[in-house]
Amino acid sequence: MSVGRSRALSLALLTASFAALVWAGSAGAQMSDQNERCFECHAKADLGTIMVDGEERSLTVDPVAYRASQHGLIDCTGCHIGFKPQAHTEAESEDWLYTARTTACGTCHGDVAAIYAGSTHGQEHAKRGEGAATPDCATCHGSHEIATTDTIAFRRSAVDTCSSCHGGRSGTYLDTYHGKSFALGRPEAAACFDCHTAHGVLPADDPNSAVSSQNVVATCGKCHADANDNFSSYLVHVNAKDPRDSVIVFMTYAFYATLIAVMFTLGGIHSVMYFYRGRKQGMYRRRHEHE
Amino acid sequence: MSMSDLQPQLEYKRFNAFHRWMHFLGMTSFTVLVFTGMPLKYSNASWAQWSMDLIGGPEAAGLLHRVAALVTMVYFISELVYIGIYIVTRRGPLWGDNTIVWSRKDGQDFVNMFRWFFGKGPFPQFERFTYWEKFDFWSLTAGTVIIGGTGLMMWFPVETTKLLPGVALNVALVIHSNEALLAMGVIFIFVHLFSAHGRPESFPIDKVIFTGSIPVEHYREERPLEYAQRLHDGTLNDVLVPARTGATKHVGNVVWWIITFMAMVAAALLAAFILWTVVT
Repeated sequence: MSVGRSRALSLALLTASFAALVWAGSAGAQMSDQNERCFECHAKADLGTIMVDGEERSLTVDPVAYRASQHGLIDCTGCHIGFKPQAHTEAESEDWLYTARTTACGTCHGDVAAIYAGSTHGQEHAKRGEGAATPDCATCHGSHEIATTDTIAFRRSAVDTCSSCHGGRSGTYLDTYHGKSFALGRPEAAACFDCHTAHGVLPADDPNSAVSSQNVVATCGKCHADANDNFSSYLVHVNAKDPRDSVIVFMTYAFYATLIAVMFTLGGIHSVMYFYRGRKQGMYRRRHEHE
Repeated sequence: MSMSDLQPQLEYKRFNAFHRWMHFLGMTSFTVLVFTGMPLKYSNASWAQWSMDLIGGPEAAGLLHRVAALVTMVYFISELVYIGIYIVTRRGPLWGDNTIVWSRKDGQDFVNMFRWFFGKGPFPQFERFTYWEKFDFWSLTAGTVIIGGTGLMMWFPVETTKLLPGVALNVALVIHSNEALLAMGVIFIFVHLFSAHGRPESFPIDKVIFTGSIPVEHYREERPLEYAQRLHDGTLNDVLVPARTGATKHVGNVVWWIITFMAMVAAALLAAFILWTVVT
């Protein structure tokens, strides 16, 4: 086969697969004409990047993924409120981006937006303004590929998102049975947002917090019927190697670490020496002559 | 044709059917407990994920772990009942010679063993149970109580905290997993697998816990004091049984080779994994 023919064939295949993709995408959801206009530019892979908060972000949006997302039927301008169809500056783009990350969500998800606004995350976000490192809606839910939250994949990605800021806390969470079984393939095991709530996260000393002393028993009770005060005083976030977290847990850990080190050493020496002397005295060979 | 070809060979009966069943239940349930528990203890390690997938996920592992825990309870309680009957009917000595209970001689044997290791003394003469066998037995007993107790606390956390503060569950987890590591490492690698099967007198495997009996000559060398005492008391004939012959012997051989091979591979694999995790 000549080079020319093979290239023509690849081109034909490429066109066919692209057509199939477009067909597949449009078959399920009829996207508004307006979005098609946006994608005339923003579907291009080489559109370039924009600097947002010192981070380089791609201006490309994958139309197929967007159409497959939960928001696939919504106009681009439904979230990017205030967009004007002329060529736009970087400052304006930044504005449209921020709007889409929080403000616009409240249009449809008003109840959740109100809870978020009252949470530590929401309050900090309002105080520090857009672009600060406080989580907004898109931090956890993503943007153009937004998915339902009841999937294993989402629960996992949300734990990762929490740990991107709260690394220490998620580390101790992963030391508990909840965290271990969650990590090893039981995604319905209680994770960060099951105890702290997803949108109304508040510090434990706030009486409205799901993990405050007033509410924590009820929070545990969601899974553990009959949970009581003692049960809820279980230390969910404890580093056994740090005496400041819990002296008694640390002492237990230290005792076993010492015991294991001593016993392994003694057991190892006993076995190695037994083997060494046994070989030296030809006991392994004599044993076989018995058989 | 020699005499031994005509007459069945006599063997020294060391363990009865009850002993062997206890060992079998202990061996199988312990292996299941370790394999379903250690991936949780080392959940960060890369091997934890695929071994948990192999088991069928944390839920399946949790179920298997609890079933094996019930088997452990069954053999532990059976052992207690057996010991109770043993004491009441006085079927044998509880203290003194040839018992599983610690005596001063065990301390002396331990010291003499280290002398022998360095070529400074003769190999100690043992009674029915050596000090490492007693250690094996008693640490397994203590371990079963400690791991079983903390395991039950975590199995029934709400009930536990009706009596104890919540931090008791934190402590229980630390004890449970570390005592398990201790049990796995010390008992099953160093003390048990080596000292029962890998030591020069029994290498590559000590069949006696599976077959119950052992060639008389071999036993006399291994436990000269018990042998001498039976000879002296005239009770040697009580423990002499005909060696297994024919099909029984071959089937038995095949079965214990399969079981032992699997157990050893499993133990070596897990030990290597944990060592790997500790080192890396």
